[in-house]
Amino acid sequence: MSFIEVKSVSKTFRINKRKSGVTGMLANLFVPKYEKKEAVKDLDFVIGQGEMVGFIGPNGAGKSTTIKMLSGILFPESGEIRVGGFIPYKQRKAYVGSIGVVFGQKSQLQWDLPVIDSFELLKAIYRVPDETYRKNLSRYTEMLDMGGFLNQPVRQLSLGQRMRADIVAALLHSPKIVFFDEPTIGVDVVGKETIRNFIRELNSQDNVTMLFTTHDMQDIEKTCDRLIIIDKGSKVYDGTLPGIRERYGTTRQLDVEFSGPQEVAPIRHVEIVDLDNNKKRFIFESHEVHINELMNLLLNRYSIRDMNISEPEIESIIRKIYSGEVF
Amino acid sequence: MMKFAPYFAYAKKCFLGRSAYRFDHLMNIMSTCLQIFIFWGIYRALYGGNTEVDGITLPMVATNFVLSMGLGAVFSVNDYFFPDKIHDGSIATELLRPISVPGRMIAENAGNALFNLIFRFAPALILVVLTIGISAPAGLGMFTVFLLSAMLGYGVLWVISFTVQMAAFWFVNVWSITTIKNVFVNVLSGSMIPLWFMPEWMVGVLRFTPFSSIYFTPVQIYLGQLTWQEAGLKCAVQAVWILLIYLAGDFLWKKGQKKLVVQGG
Repeated sequence: MSFIEVKSVSKTFRINKRKSGVTGMLANLFVPKYEKKEAVKDLDFVIGQGEMVGFIGPNGAGKSTTIKMLSGILFPESGEIRVGGFIPYKQRKAYVGSIGVVFGQKSQLQWDLPVIDSFELLKAIYRVPDETYRKNLSRYTEMLDMGGFLNQPVRQLSLGQRMRADIVAALLHSPKIVFFDEPTIGVDVVGKETIRNFIRELNSQDNVTMLFTTHDMQDIEKTCDRLIIIDKGSKVYDGTLPGIRERYGTTRQLDVEFSGPQEVAPIRHVEIVDLDNNKKRFIFESHEVHINELMNLLLNRYSIRDMNISEPEIESIIRKIYSGEVF
Repeated sequence: MMKFAPYFAYAKKCFLGRSAYRFDHLMNIMSTCLQIFIFWGIYRALYGGNTEVDGITLPMVATNFVLSMGLGAVFSVNDYFFPDKIHDGSIATELLRPISVPGRMIAENAGNALFNLIFRFAPALILVVLTIGISAPAGLGMFTVFLLSAMLGYGVLWVISFTVQMAAFWFVNVWSITTIKNVFVNVLSGSMIPLWFMPEWMVGVLRFTPFSSIYFTPVQIYLGQLTWQEAGLKCAVQAVWILLIYLAGDFLWKKGQKKLVVQGG
């Protein structure tokens, strides 16, 4: 069953294009020029209940805009969105009670109040029953290790602490759907790991449906089964994480250590890069060059001490997709 | 009752938040008193020993500015509730809550107003009554109607602010529009210069604006210048203004959301 349904959704922003300087300012004052920017273009995807989906793309690809449309904040210009039977932007008040949203860049907590006071306010706003509130609070604060700073004002928290508090704030009302918009931004390695574990556990134990944007590929590798990549407002990939290797990651690299300094004659379809200490790297496409043939050829011709073959990192594949090298 | 729980929570938060700044509210009481004393001085000089001008006595004038400035101190409306949230993008988090955003604004303003009533209006009023002295209300019945009319007056002030704030969806920076609005409210509502002293033609024009409904209607009722029937009619006019302006504001609010641009990522 599709739980989140996005059908040919587009959203355009009108941006005031202003030339710099005083003359530009004056020109803009009398004859403002506007430019249309298509933030999201004909986007389609479907997410089932309980799925955990990574939603990635370069800066300005339309991720945040999509999340904001999914959470009922922005109206799509055309197309249809349905989440759990609701049309988010039309039934906002009824709908937002069933979702949780974490904006890594915007805190939802009261700046001057202790964390716990913000939680109490949210409890009233979402009309969370006492028992659910107590249960959720103690469970989440333990999982995220937050006992130490519940009574501190938000403005005194470190970024990592604030982020954890923000995550709990978004979950106190036990939402069935959670959107995370860069929940690990600016968080240190340990903090990231805690957040990832927490997200994974929430998804597996409570069957919470999640959509997750990030720029940290480790976040995705450690939490999500499925990946949607968008670029310039359109979807460029939708599938599993291993699937992306199969589809784009056909590049292999073979690192070879020779017994001594060695000149190597060019080989067709293979790029040869010099590394240090008598080492060379052979980069090739697995469908163009057979690994066995290449290794045989090298072993027959040269004296070799060590060999090591590796697949490309997910991160380097993603980099290639962003820069438009592969499609 | 459950339905209003979130709004009460916001009102309470605002009320309690205000008590944190003790020095600030001491200064606020001072400034309210100071304003009233200055106006008292000006009008006493203007009357120059006359008991009445155009049939308006000095105690009546004093009552007008004490009540309208006092109410002005109570009627807190945060003119930048929406503009600030649109400007810094936090409107996004507001829209994530399962509550009405204008409703939340009312709740916060009401929490503030209650605080002002108890800790700002009451002390200033006691001080003024002891020193200047104001006219007594025209009977208990009329006083009750005055209370109702004062609340409606606050409603008018609130819907005007709400509607003007919606401009932020289009212009983002609305300081100038807000300032113009406040000049209109302060001058044309009769809180500084009672409408009794305004030229005939101006009063005629003002009759078709909502401004006199804010402070002048309650004051007239308090002083017993209106018959029961007139008082009832004026309250109805206040209610109609609230409804009309609110509908306009709500229309802009719905339209604004459609073209909302969330600033800052």
